[in-house]
Amino acid sequence: MNRLAILKNGLLKENPVFVLLLGTCPSLAVTTMAVNGLGMGVSTLMVLLCSNIAIAALKDFIPDKVRIPAFVVLIAGFVTIVGLLVKAYAPDLDLALGIFLPLIVVNCIILGRAEMFASKNGIVDSALDAVGMGLGFTMALFIIGSIRELLGSGMWMGIPVTAGHIEPIAIFMLAPGGFFVYGCMIALIGKLTKGKSVKKKSFGCAGCPSAGICNPSDKGGSES
Amino acid sequence: MKEMMIILVSVILVDNFVLSKFLGICPFLGVSKKLDSAIGMSLAVIFVMTIATLVTYPIYDKLLVPNDIGYLQTIVFILVIAALVQLVEITLKKYVPALYRALGVYLPLITTNCAVLGVTLLNIDSGYTYIQSIVNAVGAGIGFMLAMVLFSGVRQTMEQSDIPVSFRGVPSVLIAASIVSVSFMGFAGIVDGLFR
Amino acid sequence: MIQVYMMPITIVTVIGLISAVVLTFAAKFMAVTVNEDVAQIFGILPGVNCGACGYAGCEEYARQLSEDRSVKTNLCSPGGSDVARKISTILGTDFEEVAAKYAIVKCSGTPDKTDYVMDFRGLQSCSANKLFYRGRGACFKACLGYGDCVKACKYDAIGIVDGVAVVDRERCVGCGMCVSRCPNDLIGIIPTASRVFVSCSSPDTGAAKRKICKAGCIACKKCEKVCEYDAIKVTGNLAVIDPDKCTNCGACIAACPVQVIRQY
Repeated sequence: MNRLAILKNGLLKENPVFVLLLGTCPSLAVTTMAVNGLGMGVSTLMVLLCSNIAIAALKDFIPDKVRIPAFVVLIAGFVTIVGLLVKAYAPDLDLALGIFLPLIVVNCIILGRAEMFASKNGIVDSALDAVGMGLGFTMALFIIGSIRELLGSGMWMGIPVTAGHIEPIAIFMLAPGGFFVYGCMIALIGKLTKGKSVKKKSFGCAGCPSAGICNPSDKGGSES
Repeated sequence: MKEMMIILVSVILVDNFVLSKFLGICPFLGVSKKLDSAIGMSLAVIFVMTIATLVTYPIYDKLLVPNDIGYLQTIVFILVIAALVQLVEITLKKYVPALYRALGVYLPLITTNCAVLGVTLLNIDSGYTYIQSIVNAVGAGIGFMLAMVLFSGVRQTMEQSDIPVSFRGVPSVLIAASIVSVSFMGFAGIVDGLFR
Repeated sequence: MIQVYMMPITIVTVIGLISAVVLTFAAKFMAVTVNEDVAQIFGILPGVNCGACGYAGCEEYARQLSEDRSVKTNLCSPGGSDVARKISTILGTDFEEVAAKYAIVKCSGTPDKTDYVMDFRGLQSCSANKLFYRGRGACFKACLGYGDCVKACKYDAIGIVDGVAVVDRERCVGCGMCVSRCPNDLIGIIPTASRVFVSCSSPDTGAAKRKICKAGCIACKKCEKVCEYDAIKVTGNLAVIDPDKCTNCGACIAACPVQVIRQY
């Protein structure tokens, strides 16, 4: 497909959080504030970009049997680099993200895209795919984070919006709020796209380790 | 002894790995549909978490820290965990085939999963000793099992319900998870109440 | 200076190499030889995992068959004689026909014969209803009609007709998956040759049963007196047919005043 389509793919049609249902752990955990969601999205974007490029460049040199471990080590390397950079230049973000920053390495999106896309396509295409997916992830996290922050504390990006006037619903900042907002968002997206956003087996299942056990019909999808 | 109990109770109930810390959501949503797969998965998770801690903690403590390369913990941990689980799978397949048939399918899913890497990293971050780390890991696994088993019951009951079209599938499961998570919030004061 | 670079590179490389070597050796020395027979037999079996053969699922039966030649090949009821013949061919053992069986539901409490004692608003399942004051039937051994057995059947051989579960004799293979689902233990598996059965399971006295259900066996023993083959006996307020002695003559059916004995 053409270059622009690859980029747009990750934003809407195959949005990793709302459509592919990958990367659920960070989506729920760090979205207590919109700015944290943004920071996590950008960090994941960096790692995704670097790893996609590296894997696309090295794919001919890595033997097939050690493909997955090699990918994992590569991704782990980039995660360490990004983690150290964040720790140095944005220590507040590092504190807010906690262990989810090193846990980017097991984010299904990265391994999934490496397996589905980067190991089969050229460097430029893989980079564009990474940017698209990363932006889609960031956007999704930002939306969820904004909703939770607004409803949970009456502020948005640190700016008080309803803080002084309406009592905020604190539970949105806690664990249950995350599940609830995420569930409602998926339902909303499903309704808006009239059910076409449902995950089918042809989408990124190959890199997800639960492919052997997962039944797409459980996720509201059709078996194809 | 009291510290062990405090760690155990807090990681199983108060700070449940799945419902509070959001680690291991993918298998939680994917495998909790039936009770037997939920139990199989949780047992595999307890198993992997324990042996992962047994191996990664000494590597961090004795190898990485004395050589000032603590920053390599992500890479080394994931490498060790992946290799270890693969080894366990091969050994089980050969020597305990019954166990392999029950748990084997879930082992690759747990390897690259935030739950296992999360528990090994948290052990270091929380500054636990070796024994405390093991207790933490076993407790985390048990907490995971508790959440999975409870939730599989919820899901089986939900199957009988009439759910609006856009909410069918994952959204309804997530909202049910949020309610179960609220119920676990009720354990918040239990550590203080029991032990202090 | 070199220290800062060499140490981490060495350590990670060494860990990687050790893992690779250990795994390669493990894969070689602990390789499991797959038994060809097992896979082949498993492919023939229906894969229902019903347990009618007496083993823990189809895979277990396949394994036992390939390892132990004394295991009979005709234990699979759903598979039938076809499957038994194929397995015998693979293993080179003698072929015996599968003793065909089918399921029967021993209750005839339709709405015209008996009443429900509650309007149950809970989980619409027989097991769930049974937990609530022994279920909605006037008789505690009534068919509750929510269809747990229907959901269990993989052959579409059982359905709810007029509030009571009824087996389609043509489709039933006698696997027995419905038996465990009935909370009132109303379903029995009998040989295909046996066509007559008593459609009631309640051990209450005849008078007590008569008050709550017009279709219950009143233990009057008329069937016992009329049977020439000693095949039907009344024990515990209930008539029971011995399938080995019954010849399907139907004399008991004609003699029964409440018409609780049925013939398929």
